[in-house]
Amino acid sequence: MSRGIVEEEAPSLTRVFSPENRSLGALRSVQWRVNLGILPPSPSVNDLRRETADSRRRYAGLRRRLLVDPHVPKDGGSNSPDLVMDNPLSQNPDSTWGRFFRNAELEKMVDQDLSRLYPEHGSYFQALGCQGMLRRILLLWCLRHPECGYRQGMHELLAPLLYVLHVDCERLSDVRKIHKDHFIDKFDGLSFEENDVAYNFDFKKFLDSMEDEVGSQGNSKKVRSLDELDPEIQTIKLLTDAYGAEGELGIVLSEKFMEHDAYCMFEALMSGARGSVAMADFFAPFPAAESHSGLPPVIEASTALYHLLSIVDSSLHSHLVELGVEPQYFALRWLRVLFGREFSLHDLLVVWDEILTADNSKLGKVSGNEEISGFKILDSHRGALIVAMAVSMILYVRSSLLATENATTCLQRLLNFPENINLKKLIAKAKSLQVLALDSKISSSLSTFDVAYSRSKSAVSGRNLSSGPVSPNTPLSVVADSYWEEKWRVLHKAEELRQDDSLDKLAPSGKRRWSEKVRLVLSRTESDPSPARAGKYKKGHRSSVRRSLLEDLSQQLGLEEDTEAGDCFDTSNIEDRHSVEGQVEGQNDTSIASICTAEERCESGSGASVSEESSSIFSDPASSGSISNDHENDTEKSSVASNLSSDDNDDRHQSDLEDSPLPVSSPPEDALLSYPDENESSGKTVSASKESRHLSGRFQWLLKFGWNNVSQEASDKGVSNETAKSANRDSKSSTADSSTAAGASRYSSPTSQRDVVDQNVMGSLKNLGQSMLEHIQVLESVFQQDRVQVGSLDNLSKTNIVGKGQVTAMTALKELRKISNLLSEM
Amino acid sequence: MLVPGKIQHIICTGNLCIKEVQDYLKTLCPDLHITRGEYDEETRYPETKTLTIGQFKLGLCHGHQVIPWGDLDSLAMLQRQLDVDILVTGHTHQFTAYKHEGGVVINPGSATGAYSSITYDVNPSFVLMDIDGLRVVVYVYELIDGEVKVDKIDFKKTTTATHSAH
Repeated sequence: MSRGIVEEEAPSLTRVFSPENRSLGALRSVQWRVNLGILPPSPSVNDLRRETADSRRRYAGLRRRLLVDPHVPKDGGSNSPDLVMDNPLSQNPDSTWGRFFRNAELEKMVDQDLSRLYPEHGSYFQALGCQGMLRRILLLWCLRHPECGYRQGMHELLAPLLYVLHVDCERLSDVRKIHKDHFIDKFDGLSFEENDVAYNFDFKKFLDSMEDEVGSQGNSKKVRSLDELDPEIQTIKLLTDAYGAEGELGIVLSEKFMEHDAYCMFEALMSGARGSVAMADFFAPFPAAESHSGLPPVIEASTALYHLLSIVDSSLHSHLVELGVEPQYFALRWLRVLFGREFSLHDLLVVWDEILTADNSKLGKVSGNEEISGFKILDSHRGALIVAMAVSMILYVRSSLLATENATTCLQRLLNFPENINLKKLIAKAKSLQVLALDSKISSSLSTFDVAYSRSKSAVSGRNLSSGPVSPNTPLSVVADSYWEEKWRVLHKAEELRQDDSLDKLAPSGKRRWSEKVRLVLSRTESDPSPARAGKYKKGHRSSVRRSLLEDLSQQLGLEEDTEAGDCFDTSNIEDRHSVEGQVEGQNDTSIASICTAEERCESGSGASVSEESSSIFSDPASSGSISNDHENDTEKSSVASNLSSDDNDDRHQSDLEDSPLPVSSPPEDALLSYPDENESSGKTVSASKESRHLSGRFQWLLKFGWNNVSQEASDKGVSNETAKSANRDSKSSTADSSTAAGASRYSSPTSQRDVVDQNVMGSLKNLGQSMLEHIQVLESVFQQDRVQVGSLDNLSKTNIVGKGQVTAMTALKELRKISNLLSEM
Repeated sequence: MLVPGKIQHIICTGNLCIKEVQDYLKTLCPDLHITRGEYDEETRYPETKTLTIGQFKLGLCHGHQVIPWGDLDSLAMLQRQLDVDILVTGHTHQFTAYKHEGGVVINPGSATGAYSSITYDVNPSFVLMDIDGLRVVVYVYELIDGEVKVDKIDFKKTTTATHSAH
């Protein structure tokens, strides 16, 4: 009969152990033990019990062997120990005393950490029994793995495991209390406690139980058969039956053997159980034997993290890289303790549920003949999920990271992860990123990326170190966090992950300074910007400012590297943007030509090519910026202003929009005067810079892919050389180099790459399309506004240009809409 | 064998004679207790000392004050007088250890094997006590014929050494 019950149980057990049903209140400790490979994923109870018993036996044997107490006479004195060797002062390494003292030293180290473990749950973790167990487990593990030794953080990995076991045991006792009848054999009114191996018959208890029996008759009659119980309860009953397989040692949820089970789980977690991710690796200071990158595993994993981040969100990535925030500063703690210090204990358990569910087996990479197989951590689902989780966490605090220009603040934000988080969202995002991370192209592109990354890393750090006086850390002005967040939210209304900080009032002082600098800078500009362009000082208009600040930002980045290179870079960037846009939108040459012509027309028919004009404008503010190097604000503001002037050339969308509402007649100076009147402009400008940075990041990334494609079918050898170079190097510098050389040729071959680009970057393009749609909407709304105000302009020439610009802008808008529809369809 | 850091307390019965020896002992362990022997140049050592280590009360005296030298009963008197569980005395330059009346009387002998007028063939010896809760294990290290010989004695303290009123 019992066998029948067991067989009936089998399906329910599989239900319990299936990952989808974890919310069934399934026993986490059992689930985790299955995930970690300690228990077989078989539905048979007996298998589980046997495995449990075996693992516990192993631990007990280990404990007996290694935990030495020389005080206790071992064999009853039958073989008296050789006291010459075995005395406390003996320096003989074999002596038990020697081992005892070594263990004592290890224990001291462990205790240092244990005393600080989870003080907020101190009632459990700081209890003597629990501490003793933790200490022993850690000690034994370290003795077993002398090459690793004890490192700070291992206790944090162990604590949740023990906690989970404890919770399950408590659950068991609760269930026992509720379903007394099924856990206690009652014969003749005598209750034989299942757990009580050394059952002492107590007459007194017998009499008491007789009385209880009478009272509880009503309750006990209700549920008689095992089958009527909840399947979960049935599981628990079977797993903890003292008469099942392996007897008491096989009781899967047992308080007696918590230490054994916790040790097994810890060991499995650390060693990775023949899988890919072994936590012990993260504590190793030296590179693994088969490491391809020659880095310690945790550094390599941090690099993988940044790699994934750069793919998902390159603007944030470049922002962090610029600030010199190396991934291991925060990722070390995140990875070593598997986010134990970032989440509260209960959240952590949910996170670990996910991580442990992910399979840890090595994925066979189709590497073929290439020897370099990529990041080791991405070699398994679990590793990929861990990396994805980390990236998801970084993205969660994205806005505050982008808001600050201070590496310390960034690190503070990352190391003090916010308390009240939407964990489900975080995990969902991580899962989506995991898929990305596992993409073979990404994980196996380590070779090229890693080299590039480390080089760029060193370049960045070198840059940061060398360009001290140019203050690399704060090229932009330091503004309040909420200020930047507002800008960010403006740009990404659709994204829900962003925190909602209320926008404080924009820094008026910044604006004031800015207007002064603008005046200063623009007075220096030699070439008289066309009236149209001047008139394009549209302040209240968001998108134009956005675009301008895209240039502005690229200007910043350009300035960061090199003052002279910055010029080229800026110009190239603008051109890049064009080419990128051209690529993305699949414009034909004609459309681009139309853009060019539109701009030319906007510039009142000035014969100068777009690039030349913009470059001249840029060089001026760049030089002026470099002159006034003492204040970072100066450079920013001046470049912003110059951007405003030259930016309009480039952006076909803005060609009509900017000029209309502005009551600016001809020279830029006039525009300046009206400039300070607009309060929002500075704010919007700054906001646009954020977006521009983001956009430039995206464009750069797109550019990179575009360049890759261009290199494949380069018509112009020079272009191919440049672009091939660029594909292998940091995008910024590459664009600087290549674009200057191959300015015009790029325009010729944007369209053919569209398909290739699309194949590669569909998801991101979709996002891009969405943001473009937003832009379109904004532009259109403003355009409607502008149309009204066109008539109020004084300058005749401007109105002419405006009229033409409007037409071209309309066409351009239409095309843009088409493209975005295409993209969203993808 | 005597390496700094392994020993927590040093109890010395006396007759160190010169300060250099005290300094040497200090390098082994900072917690040093010394009583005055008849040849000590340092005059500020006490005649007797008591200290508590773990659950045990220890008494220290050089032993030349207790006559007859080395006599168990007289030493037991001193033990009762000091009210200690373990009494450590010296002067005889010979290792002895007695269990007596619920307490222990230990004579660690001479650490240097110095000449003694009452003992022939003095072997250098010292005693290491491992106090662990209510149990003390006494390891005796003796240098006999150029070799270190170790012996071990176990003592357990009775929790209540009740002395009836008389």
